[in-house]
Amino acid sequence: MDLEVVWLFVQQGVASGLVSGAVYALLALAIVIVYRTTDVANFAQGEIYMAASYLAFFLIVVFAAPILLAIPLTILIVCGGAAVFQRLVLARVASVRGVSVNLVIATLGLSYFLKGMVRFSGFGDAPRSFPSVVPDGALTIGDASLSYLDIVIFVTSLVVMALFFWMFTFTKTGRAMRAVGMNRRAAALVGISLTRVQMQVWACSGGISAIAALLIAPKLLLTVEMGHVATLAFAAAIVGGFTSLPGAVVGGFIIGIAENLVGLFVSSRAIVVTPFVVIMLVLILKPQGLFGGAVRVRKV
Amino acid sequence: MKRLLAVLGVAAVVAGAVVLEASATGYIVYLVNLLLVTLVLSLGLHVVIGESGQFSLAHSAFYGIGIYATAIATTAHWPFILALGVGGLAAAVCGLVIGLLALRMRDIYLALSTFAFGEAMQWVFLNWEAVTGGPNGYNIPPTKLFGFAIMSDREAFPLVAVLAVLFLAATLVLHHSGFGRALRAVRESEIAAAAVGVNVKLMKLAAFTLSALLAGAAGGMFTTFSTFIHPDSLGFSTTVLVLTVVVVGGIGSVWGVVGGAVVFGLLNELLRQLPSYQEMIYGAILMGFMMFAPRGMFAALRGAR
Repeated sequence: MDLEVVWLFVQQGVASGLVSGAVYALLALAIVIVYRTTDVANFAQGEIYMAASYLAFFLIVVFAAPILLAIPLTILIVCGGAAVFQRLVLARVASVRGVSVNLVIATLGLSYFLKGMVRFSGFGDAPRSFPSVVPDGALTIGDASLSYLDIVIFVTSLVVMALFFWMFTFTKTGRAMRAVGMNRRAAALVGISLTRVQMQVWACSGGISAIAALLIAPKLLLTVEMGHVATLAFAAAIVGGFTSLPGAVVGGFIIGIAENLVGLFVSSRAIVVTPFVVIMLVLILKPQGLFGGAVRVRKV
Repeated sequence: MKRLLAVLGVAAVVAGAVVLEASATGYIVYLVNLLLVTLVLSLGLHVVIGESGQFSLAHSAFYGIGIYATAIATTAHWPFILALGVGGLAAAVCGLVIGLLALRMRDIYLALSTFAFGEAMQWVFLNWEAVTGGPNGYNIPPTKLFGFAIMSDREAFPLVAVLAVLFLAATLVLHHSGFGRALRAVRESEIAAAAVGVNVKLMKLAAFTLSALLAGAAGGMFTTFSTFIHPDSLGFSTTVLVLTVVVVGGIGSVWGVVGGAVVFGLLNELLRQLPSYQEMIYGAILMGFMMFAPRGMFAALRGAR
């Protein structure tokens, strides 16, 4: 391969990787905050995102809702749905028996339920395309070309992440979430309501998933199986260490760029398998991920 | 009393098998064969989740490895017993490798890496066209047993039934043996198990290997009555079916797995044409059991102990 072509591919791969990586980073953030504060590895993350895409599609296409109404409405409904799931289902599963495996099975149940619902609604039968509000056209940065939609996705993701970190650092709610993530008992002792914080965290995670869905839906076809994207988010979270918020973001970009470079240099068919190879490699070499810290030994 | 019940049970099963062989339609025989395969596959997951307490989401991959390995051996005109052995062993070797990885991780990391392995294997099945036929699927030649070719579901049924009973018996023996107790000790507390002299690492490895062996053997059983396999049927949904069987049956209970396999094997087949209902029902069942009866339907029937 020509050196010039290699350089072009690297630029394009990194640019496109940053865009898709931003979406993976958002979903990985949603996974990580939920895991830190409620100990749940949310295997339904992808399906929440999928259901959010269909909800927005439904509002815009069937109810002909204006975009400016449909977007906040989608985010609100998904926030509420996630909080209700945490309150009604997960809180109970955790109280019966605090085994993480049971929690994982419950989220697998939710993921199947959501898939079934979307199929049942009749929308999931054929792939659908989402109307785009961003004008067509592309921008050239260096030698890489990005569409306007790509730029909007990237910038919005960064803004959402920044808002999120701001909330975590400076607001009372965010600090309560962090406290619960660090030490649940101590947080409860200083007067933080665990029930409320855990619901809020799920609502947040739902909101982030809905935003990710709204951002990337116009780029993809809607299908019931689109929740597969969550495996990339999981890969991102694992690369970052699963409990680290900055780790999730960095992991998202690493996965996004790796995926795009593999697509350009190896073959587009190998893209699908990239996240699994990355997951396996990271888990073998560094079971705690890049930002996961040292292995904690649980003592009796 | 217990012995009498056991004898009556065996007699009922034999009588049922004879009646089935003589009178049932082809579809019902096919269905029973499929249920028995589901049972052995679920027993595989039971060994790793129920006995040793490690989470695995890779069972459709082991099952697929068993199917392809057995089918390839059958294509090469190997006798069935050898072909089945190849299928089981190929899966067991992969299980051993996953088990080695599993020594380094637990809970969520283990769930994710086994999930990743399952998805990666499905990709391999789909793309390694020279061996698996890729998206065109693989045509499985008829099984040869003692020089006699098995051409129909009805002819395969006695073989499938005998194998299923053997694997069920082996799982029961394992459950009641010292080895089974050692596995459950690891499930309850690794530290306590190590303190009484159980080799925790060896037990975890053995659980994964045996579990994969059973799943691979289930794949081998599948090839005796099926003529075609496509990677699409080896995806995550198969893993979820088996997980549902084990969870609803009651994690840790062998007879629970048997009951779960019958219920969900049937449900799976009945709802095949209605994927939306199937997914909603599975989803609701998984959530509901985790909420109200985490120890499974049979524990719920017996009343909480």
